[in-house]
Amino acid sequence: MNDDEAARTNGHVYELRGVRRDFRAGGSEVRAVDGVDMVVATGEFVVVEGPSGSGKTTLLQLLGALDRPTAGSVSFAGRDLSSLPDRALTEVRARDIGFVFQTFNLIPTLTALENIEIAMAPLRVSRAKKRARAEKLLGQLGLAERGGHLPGLMSGGEQQRVSIARAMANEPRVILADEPTGNLDSTTADEIIRLLADLCASEGVTLIVVTHSEDVARRAARRLRMRDGRLIDDEIWTRGGVPG
Amino acid sequence: MLGYAASELRRRLGRTLLTALGLAAGVGMVVGIIGVSRGLNDAQASVLQPLSSIGTDILVTRVVGNTQTATPSPTPTATDGFNRGGGFGGGPGFFGGGPGSGLNGADITALAQENNNVVTDLSKLGKPGAKFTHDFFLSATLLSFPQEAVAEVAKINGVAAAAGALTQLANHQTGTVPQIVAEIQTGGQTFTQTARPAPLTDAERQKLQQCFAGERSGSSPEPSPQAAPRQGGRDCFPERFREFRFSFRTPLQTLRQAIDPPQTDITSTSYTAAGIDPASPRIGLVTPDQLTKGRWLTTSAPNEVLLNAAYANKTSLGVGSTFEINGTTFTVVGIVTPTLAGATSDVYFPLATLQTLAGKAGRVTQVLVKTTGASNVDAVVKEIQKQLPGAEVVTTRSLAEQVTGSLSDARKLADRLGGALAVIVLAAAFVIAVLLTLGSIAKRVREIGTLRAIGWSRGRVVRQILAETIMIGLLGGVIGVAIGYAAAYAVGAFSPALTATTSGVPNMSSSNLAQFFGSSLPSSVHSATVSLKAPVHLATLAVGVGFAVIGGLIAGAVGGWRASRLSPAEALRSVG
Repeated sequence: MNDDEAARTNGHVYELRGVRRDFRAGGSEVRAVDGVDMVVATGEFVVVEGPSGSGKTTLLQLLGALDRPTAGSVSFAGRDLSSLPDRALTEVRARDIGFVFQTFNLIPTLTALENIEIAMAPLRVSRAKKRARAEKLLGQLGLAERGGHLPGLMSGGEQQRVSIARAMANEPRVILADEPTGNLDSTTADEIIRLLADLCASEGVTLIVVTHSEDVARRAARRLRMRDGRLIDDEIWTRGGVPG
Repeated sequence: MLGYAASELRRRLGRTLLTALGLAAGVGMVVGIIGVSRGLNDAQASVLQPLSSIGTDILVTRVVGNTQTATPSPTPTATDGFNRGGGFGGGPGFFGGGPGSGLNGADITALAQENNNVVTDLSKLGKPGAKFTHDFFLSATLLSFPQEAVAEVAKINGVAAAAGALTQLANHQTGTVPQIVAEIQTGGQTFTQTARPAPLTDAERQKLQQCFAGERSGSSPEPSPQAAPRQGGRDCFPERFREFRFSFRTPLQTLRQAIDPPQTDITSTSYTAAGIDPASPRIGLVTPDQLTKGRWLTTSAPNEVLLNAAYANKTSLGVGSTFEINGTTFTVVGIVTPTLAGATSDVYFPLATLQTLAGKAGRVTQVLVKTTGASNVDAVVKEIQKQLPGAEVVTTRSLAEQVTGSLSDARKLADRLGGALAVIVLAAAFVIAVLLTLGSIAKRVREIGTLRAIGWSRGRVVRQILAETIMIGLLGGVIGVAIGYAAAYAVGAFSPALTATTSGVPNMSSSNLAQFFGSSLPSSVHSATVSLKAPVHLATLAVGVGFAVIGGLIAGAVGGWRASRLSPAEALRSVG
């Protein structure tokens, strides 16, 4: 973030005002997100908690430029995502946002390295640079020797680390993780969330994690709780989260 | 992207192979049908090539009793059309009678004039007993017309070149000049006849005795039998005894009498003769392309001829051989294998030479026309029929329409059913490819949602799907081409025989009058048995692969369109 942008955004990477998202399902309208107002500062580690159906994932998709709000505005780095065309949203996702999914969502036919490289495909990076960047990330995540392996031959933790490397490939401003430890055992989950948090902290990347896990939530500096689409609690831990 | 596509195809090998095989079936069918169709075309061309192989698009003739003329001709008059050229043969109007059934008066006149030299004057062949050879030439039922017609046709818009030709039925006679008139000497014989009178009756005897008696007495009226010899007594006998023996000599006389029929040992053999213009080698009843030995005719050598290879073989003549026709020695300079089915000739003379030999100076029996383009053929045909009423005009297409037999049946089957079958199979293959691709897209919703989430644009996703389906198409194309090639090879190995019968080009036997000229006339009905091959050219293989790739493109376009319509949020939400 340069000085102009910092001044314009007051250091906020996200600013949501009156965000509402309605879906039509089975003839009736469902309000998944209902009047959310919030700001997220650059480099923050935020977890979003709440029961199933509370609107966490929908909120994450709105933050990730995957969806547009029915009402309200989602400002990302000073740009209103709700008014951007599809092409611009795609570019925002490619350049500025990284995703980590519960089910890893790796391409099963591609190796770990290739899975990381395809994230760089939209940015017209040379093949050599892509390969170098992917190898570096895998090394940082402790998978230097696993670059040529297919996801099917890797453990869940390894796959999720590859997923994190893919999310970090384009040096994004934000990483959005949807239940990143949901499919992992507790030890691995702890390892993954620590890794993710450390990486984001070292790179100055904002991390927003949707989770049911108290262990994960306790690591965040800020905890948002949702129920019925509403943000009911916004708890900020001044020391940057519960110590592990 | 290609590596990703290749990896995807490997991962979904079963679906990839199923899609590729679906396309391969369609492509194989198309390649096979194209091969068989090409084989049928080649086979048909071998039957129908006569016109095109001699640089000709249109052949104009006039056949007696022609009933195929498309346009009616005006009532001919003595000064109409090319008859103004006058000269040998020909009836009123350009070619004589107009269209219609059977002979009209003009046909009859023309027919008689064209064939009047069929009468051989034996008295002019030499002295009786001398050996002779004699050739005479007939138009049979292929009537000649003035050569000016060639120039008139050449002026028609759309005609690139026109050449005249003369085809004649020749009869070669050898033998001994027969005795035509016999001289008979009569008379000079002496004839003697002796008569035996009947015995005297009683009354005669009595009267004779009285006569003799009277002569003896000098007074008696009854003559005496004893005195009769002495006195003569001649008058005493009955009348029938007075002259009973006589002789006569017939007068000498020489009688001259024509022998009908004259007795002779003449033997006749027939051959067909054609006159071609050596100055127009590219268009004619035979062209230099059909020369197998020797060289082409030269314009300055009127006594050079070309021989049909079959005739040369039959007569044991070859390049350099000479033979005599009506006192002129001709030299064989080339052997040809003419292709004008139904109208090939045994001997090809320079046109002017044959015109002289046949006594048909300035006349031709065919006009061969080359148009400036295939699209002009119909217009030129109409103009020829308009300018030359009564003309029989034949084109390659009209010949093709007359082909019958199993070749024709197979050709029609290939045209009607084969094409439709190929389209149906190909369409089915495309539909299968599309459905399988859509099925694949449905199973890859999470993958597509992920790609969209990490910044892949709709276009990039579509290109990815297209890359995959095009690769499947290529695979299907290669397999399909192999299948089609194998099928074509099998057809070629089996090589089924097909027969084709075409009425050929009009010739001297192209009317029901032909029977009057005997079996020596070459038949205008041309039959051929051809072995069906299914040649598969590189272009066919390219077309096959092209179809498969098109199928892949269609499947990719539909699948890509479906994928591009997936909202990334919905895609990720749906798989949750």
